[in-house]
Amino acid sequence: MRSRVAADRLRDLQQITDAALAYLPLEDLLNELLTRIVEILGVETAAILLLEDDETTLAARAAKGLEEEVERGVRIPVGRGFAGRIAATRQPVHIVNLDEFEVVNPLLRERGLRSLLGVPLLVEGAVVGVMHVGTLETRIFSDDDTELLQRAGDRAALAIFSRLTERERNLADALQRSLIPRLPELPAVSLAGRYLPAAAARLGGDWYDAFPLPDGRLGMAIGDVVGHGFHAAAIMGQLRSGLRAYALDGMPPGQVLERLSRLLRQLEPGRTATLVYLVLDAHGGGLAVASAGHPPPLVHPRGGEPRYLDMPGSVPLGAARHVFYEDQRLELEPGTALVLYTDGLVEQAGEPLDAGLERLSATIRDGPVDLEHLGDAIIDNLLPGGPRDDDAALLMVRALPIGEELTAEFPAEVESIPVMRRLLGRWLAEAGATPADIDDLALASAEAAANAIEHAYGLAAGIVELRASRSQEGVVKVAVRDFGNWRQPRGTNRGRGLMLMEGLTDGVEVIHRDEGTTVELLRRLGREAA
Amino acid sequence: MNAQPDLTIDYHGRVAVVSLAREVDIVQAQALRGRLLGAVRNEDLALVVDLSEVTYLDSVGVSILFELAERLDERQLRLAVVLPEGGLVERVLRIVNLGSVAAVHRSLADALADVGG
Repeated sequence: MRSRVAADRLRDLQQITDAALAYLPLEDLLNELLTRIVEILGVETAAILLLEDDETTLAARAAKGLEEEVERGVRIPVGRGFAGRIAATRQPVHIVNLDEFEVVNPLLRERGLRSLLGVPLLVEGAVVGVMHVGTLETRIFSDDDTELLQRAGDRAALAIFSRLTERERNLADALQRSLIPRLPELPAVSLAGRYLPAAAARLGGDWYDAFPLPDGRLGMAIGDVVGHGFHAAAIMGQLRSGLRAYALDGMPPGQVLERLSRLLRQLEPGRTATLVYLVLDAHGGGLAVASAGHPPPLVHPRGGEPRYLDMPGSVPLGAARHVFYEDQRLELEPGTALVLYTDGLVEQAGEPLDAGLERLSATIRDGPVDLEHLGDAIIDNLLPGGPRDDDAALLMVRALPIGEELTAEFPAEVESIPVMRRLLGRWLAEAGATPADIDDLALASAEAAANAIEHAYGLAAGIVELRASRSQEGVVKVAVRDFGNWRQPRGTNRGRGLMLMEGLTDGVEVIHRDEGTTVELLRRLGREAA
Repeated sequence: MNAQPDLTIDYHGRVAVVSLAREVDIVQAQALRGRLLGAVRNEDLALVVDLSEVTYLDSVGVSILFELAERLDERQLRLAVVLPEGGLVERVLRIVNLGSVAAVHRSLADALADVGG
């Protein structure tokens, strides 16, 4: 008789959860469920705790007759106390007399509870949470009660799981999107990146970043936080912020990694991450790179053979207390592509790592020059079946040929100046200039640009245009143009700027027009030093 | 392990020696300015600015050197600059005639001998 009643009640419960699944937000669904359970079982309290992402803590998410549990944000370590024991053993726990049991949550006693019954919430055998009910009077719960609560728990677990996975997917997408950077746009430099989430669409720990440094060079990083899920992704976000902060302070790569390792050990003891950070003068070719246990970057000289950089062995970030990361310095030929990747791209179950590295190298050697197309070719060749168990990231950079004439536009701000003179330097080198020609013209042009930035626009945003060409006779003309209202340079500072422009070139002409000012600098290549 | 590895300060007796490296340009000059001015202690008699490792110096960097010379002169302190021959930085400082406000030397030893470090 009793079991028939219980079955009817379970059917009620089922209808609620089924209907609720269709439209109720998760919190409302859980509350609705608990209300019914309190009624069906004739208890005073009911509560649901869910396992946190770190899988070591239960957090109260919904409660009836015990609302403070949620309001106070009660958290119970797995393995301890009443709810903790249920999660750890995956078995129902029945307490007849609370006085004889050690609980973690003081609320249970404060509320005057006497008897408790709790069941694990299981999805595919894994604990996702705990549901428990309680009474003020002593009650010995029957096997039927336990079975009813467990079956209600199963339904709740399914509902929670489908809600969580849906919400997790949305959050995961948003988080991953926020962690994939918008790559900087640099004149005559091509940058491309790819991120492929793992097949299960879980959040991964792979990331990359690229950003201009104050001295006009480019900072680039790629890394892999060990583990998956929100926690790994959150750590990745912290590492990314830390890396940018240290990098913008002008630190060389090895020092950046040393600090990041210390940061990671403090934020997340026991967690490790691999990372390559490098500083590249995309125009001059100078490269400084350091690695924390990450697969080596690959360089591909234009028309040459790709090769992996010979990086000294190193430990991942967070793996050791005192750690020294060595900077590797080298000069890349103009037009050399630099390719960074994570192991998810080159590792395949059932084959040695070398096979994946060889496939990447061959794809780059025979692949298209354009980096966006090359990125597609790499993904097609290395991950032909789409995403795998692991996520994968790829970041590439290459200086583009500039051609006979140089034309580029920059935001009218001082940070543009180092980028501008490095770009001009590369064009001059390609045009046959000597190191002294390059030094002198780059500095003279930087002075002209500083004039434009400081005097043409005031505080309004503007553009500075750089043009350069070379005559048959070997005379280079550099024109720096603004589109603002020129006001007379003030102070000895800019006076010295003009002095330098004149001293370092063979001719300076300042042309004022209504639509802006152009400074033209002339220099015969290979002239005697000033 | 300095957050700004491009500037080091050293003291030789009562002479402050500031060594700069790499690029001294409009972007970072203001940060260098404060540290240069702050390098001179009350008991110092002179300042030596070593530019041996500097590869780029623009008009903002030049102006900081002139300002430094003026401030030191007001306190009857001497300024010496170490500047190897040849290269962009020497061309720049010759064009603006830094020699009119500071003693220019080819080596740190020469500069220290001159200002009495």
